[in-house]
Amino acid sequence: MPRCDAAVTGVGLVTPAGIGVEENWERVCAPKPAAALDPELADAPVRISCRVPGFDPVQRLGARRAHRLDRFVQLALVAAREALADAGLDPASWDGSRVGVVLGCGDGGTATREREHRVLLEEGARWVSPLVHPMALPNMLAGQLSIELGVTGPGLVVATACASGATAVGVARDQLSLGRCDIVLTGASDALVTPFQVAGYAQTGALSQRHDDPAGASRPFDADRDGFVIGEGAGLLVLERPEHARARGARVRARVVGYGATADAHHVTAPHPEGRGIEAALRAALADAGASPRDVAHVNAHGTGTPLNDLVEAAAVHRVLPHAPVVTSTKGVTGHLLGAAGAVEAVYTVLAVERGLVPPTANLGRPDPRVELDVATVPTRRRIGLALTNSLGFGGQNAVLAVAAA
Amino acid sequence: MFEQLKDILAGKLHVPADSITMEATPQDIELDSLAVVELSLVLDKELCIRISDDELSGAGTVGDIVRLMEARGAAL
Repeated sequence: MPRCDAAVTGVGLVTPAGIGVEENWERVCAPKPAAALDPELADAPVRISCRVPGFDPVQRLGARRAHRLDRFVQLALVAAREALADAGLDPASWDGSRVGVVLGCGDGGTATREREHRVLLEEGARWVSPLVHPMALPNMLAGQLSIELGVTGPGLVVATACASGATAVGVARDQLSLGRCDIVLTGASDALVTPFQVAGYAQTGALSQRHDDPAGASRPFDADRDGFVIGEGAGLLVLERPEHARARGARVRARVVGYGATADAHHVTAPHPEGRGIEAALRAALADAGASPRDVAHVNAHGTGTPLNDLVEAAAVHRVLPHAPVVTSTKGVTGHLLGAAGAVEAVYTVLAVERGLVPPTANLGRPDPRVELDVATVPTRRRIGLALTNSLGFGGQNAVLAVAAA
Repeated sequence: MFEQLKDILAGKLHVPADSITMEATPQDIELDSLAVVELSLVLDKELCIRISDDELSGAGTVGDIVRLMEARGAAL
């Protein structure tokens, strides 16, 4: 397949670390964890979450639009506007047929679906809203953004659970490589902090139960970690064919130069015990980038803070990159944004490469001695020519992106 | 009846209140096919007035909807 690097010309973030890229960067570098007790989870088996602070959809989108969009699309729309403004692109003046929208999410409009299912059970089918599918279908993430922005090129939503965001960015770059478009708006969004979703994740044993210290609940690579903290958010990136970005004089923040996608073919929730799937994805991303392991100066790890993930991932990273590049897991601050995680972390990786600064891993007070990685505990200055960002999803799906300096 | 319809359109469907006039068309207040079904449900639930979405779709203005409501409401 022909391949091209993708220029990252714009980024946008709406996450528990803040609304807007700079607010996010400040908070992940601080690092100031977002996890807190959640009143809406008062009756759930786990009561800790990471919410986007002060997100008012009516103020951001207007009451009418907010009423007709599930939260996962609301978050994405606000992040998309920031990414486009950052790229200096105006949807009113572009050729929409040369633009694509490739996004990821874990489970679509779960809050809308749960609300209307309650209506079905308590009041009857006659009263179910006609908006349930237009709001809740996962592909509405791309559908609504294309309508909003006049995008008439390829539109799709990919689902690889917690790897969806990284998968979307990889597939978006493929669209550019294939010449299907010149610009792709990519990334991911999820808003799954509901009692139902939390109950399901709690039953798998994946969530932290640290109710006496919620701010310390998300502690990737720490010896005392006991699970992840569920979060919500969106990360959007504008990718362009390099010649297109050059022709319009766009500022390039970094480049997506490699993508590795593999499956464990092992178990629905547990990673392969030896991390063969994520290891293969790391090697595939490097091969795709035409890079050698020693070129990698930084890794934004999946690092969820579950006992199993962090050990398996760390071992795989150590095997592929024994020269100890500086590693971080920004989930210590943001919690785990599920389908959005890989996209948000791709944005953090772009910023780390651009700024030569690796954000620290929050709550890493007592590093797990079995983790043979150089995990940053303070903001770490480093000249970064090439960085990798890892994502592993339920279902055994793995995605690794390689991000290079502009 | 106009005031009741206006309250529902603004309060439940979040149509901007200042756009809701007797002369406004469905396009003026962004009443698409989905919003028409929504309105039909809310009229039934809030005011016990049953007007099908097909009937609402035939209304050319907000005033026409008000007249449908008055006819259907009076028949109760």
